[in-house]
Amino acid sequence: MAERPREDVPSEAGAEEAVKIICLGDSAVGKSKLLERFLLDGFRPQQLSTFALTLYQHHARVDGKAVLVDFWDTAGQERFQSMHPSYYHKAHACIMVFDVQRKVTYKNLSNWYKELREFRPEIPCIVVANKIDADMKVTQKSFNFARKLSLPFYFVSAADGTNVVKLFNDAIKLAVTYKQNSGDFMDEVMQELESFDLEKKSEDLSDQEDSSPEEKPPSS
Amino acid sequence: MACVAKKCGVRFQPPSVILIYKEKDKFRRRVMPVRNFSQFSDCGVAAEQLKNNPRHKAYLEGVSLRQLEKLCRLLKGHLGGESLAESLGKLQQEETIDPEEDMNKLDDEELAKRKSIMDELFEKNRKKKDDPDFIYDIEVEFPQDEQLESCGWDAESCEEV
Repeated sequence: MAERPREDVPSEAGAEEAVKIICLGDSAVGKSKLLERFLLDGFRPQQLSTFALTLYQHHARVDGKAVLVDFWDTAGQERFQSMHPSYYHKAHACIMVFDVQRKVTYKNLSNWYKELREFRPEIPCIVVANKIDADMKVTQKSFNFARKLSLPFYFVSAADGTNVVKLFNDAIKLAVTYKQNSGDFMDEVMQELESFDLEKKSEDLSDQEDSSPEEKPPSS
Repeated sequence: MACVAKKCGVRFQPPSVILIYKEKDKFRRRVMPVRNFSQFSDCGVAAEQLKNNPRHKAYLEGVSLRQLEKLCRLLKGHLGGESLAESLGKLQQEETIDPEEDMNKLDDEELAKRKSIMDELFEKNRKKKDDPDFIYDIEVEFPQDEQLESCGWDAESCEEV
């Protein structure tokens, strides 16, 4: 992958921690508008059109620590009703959005959630009801999807700004906490596999280079 | 000239836009033929030509380009064999969001249309950074307790999740 985004090493100077937060939800529920409202002018999205993906970088502070946040936003990829596995890869939190004006976007949450859990069984996930400015009455109603799964639930409006900043700041905190405490089993397994794979490849290469079947000390 | 547009409509035969306007306490009617117009014409262009026509310009000041374009769409529909009700239905549909529609299934162009309809409301309700009453961090609590009325969207899917 030529455009493969960085690994999660805090690459920019000063950041002590780096997290990845992904946005999920149907087309036109307002994912990008929420991000833009949170970041205001501070955003410099990076379009990775080959992957139908937009990245927004943000510098945050959590408990005095500088945190580099990569927000991943879909750019049409949701139209395939599913995201490429790399979208979920090493994500530390998820923001799942629906449009309070459109039932189908609420119904689809269960599909998005199912896919999320296939790849990231443990990461924090926030459910977001967007566009409450269109009809404030919805905030007086109960939406059981989040409650059933014991997920945090926010009523927000990207237009008037209600609860947008709180949403993202809470998501960042959850992501950092997750990364520091989880010791995510799958992440560790993946890491082991990756380094194992590299070792194996380099051995294969050396085998081809010299024909002598000498044993090499494992390079670790 | 003090002329105030009151109503603007369309006549199919011959294709014309009709304006009812008020001038010096009198109601008058102006018939403006839409020339060289066929079922294949571009309604945006036709509307602009009408609005910029030196003979009609002054009368049409109070009529939006959007309305003229809609009227031309009715003419076009008629020339293409649609009934008036069909044409009106189409116009109506293009300006409203079908809440049941799965927009994941739309192509780029159709999705862009829906987004622009929804953007109208977004812009209307939008608080911009430069507005004097702009507040960056607005927190409002909406408690989700058991007593609330259901949104009605959970009912059929009780067992799903």
